Amino acid sequence: MRFYLVDRILELQPPGRIVAVKSLSLAEEYLADHFPAYPVLPGVMMLEALVQTAAWLVRVQTDFEKSLVLLREAQNVRYGNFVRPGGQLVMEVEAIEIGAGVSRFKAVGQCDGQQAVQAKLTLEHFNIGDEDPLRANLDAGLRTLLRERFRLVRGPQALAAQARS
Amino acid sequence: MALSRDEIMEKVREALVDALGVDEDEVVPTARIGPDLGAESIDYLDIVFRLEKAFNIKIPRGDLFPDNILTSEEFVQNKKLTEKGVAELRARMPHADLSKFEQNPNVDDIADLFTVNMIVGYVESKLSGAAA
Repeated sequence: MRFYLVDRILELQPPGRIVAVKSLSLAEEYLADHFPAYPVLPGVMMLEALVQTAAWLVRVQTDFEKSLVLLREAQNVRYGNFVRPGGQLVMEVEAIEIGAGVSRFKAVGQCDGQQAVQAKLTLEHFNIGDEDPLRANLDAGLRTLLRERFRLVRGPQALAAQARS
Repeated sequence: MALSRDEIMEKVREALVDALGVDEDEVVPTARIGPDLGAESIDYLDIVFRLEKAFNIKIPRGDLFPDNILTSEEFVQNKKLTEKGVAELRARMPHADLSKFEQNPNVDDIADLFTVNMIVGYVESKLSGAAA
């Protein structure tokens, strides 16, 4: 399974704000077990979707400088309503601070106007080459992949829309 | 090992603080594991594991947090538990108070049944059962 949990970026206002969505499909494999008669988006997937949303803001703000943007810490994670198949998790992430190697965010996920998840996130960003010079070549490849995925989730359109307004 | 209910509550509190990252004073007897303390699916596994270690008991899968309720249309229809579902829930959770829930058994509200008190009651009965 490809854990691409952001389907589309709706709004993008670097450095401070991003809004993105994850649609839930009955076809997602992990739903078969979670739960058989009552499929719902697992809380950990909601959290990861928030992290990936925040990560896009980091990448745009830093021009994809670091190939790896990962979760370092999640605090005050609270879950509310379930997200069911056919539903959309609308994720609004506000940056508290984006540094060179660390960033912090307040993140909220809503579905049909009800809160599904909230969290305070700390992300860390680095290049593989920083840790392992022999593998520095991987960073360029990852960067290319991520720029392409940014196009797939309509990042450029979101940026353009914000530039127009 | 004859632990008092208070001693059991203390150890349960510790397990929940460690599993969920909440403050001790948030873990009151009526606190609901999900809605109040922020637990979600994967946390329930963690909680069971910690309780097993804290009390040196074995908690069979689904014994504390019944997970078979959501596995079949016999038990769930249209986001509500069927009569069979409520009966199954009652049988699996003798330590839960179903009086409010069964009036309107929405699946979304099942999490309201998993309270700290419920866990303490379960551990109490496991420990006294073991001693018997």
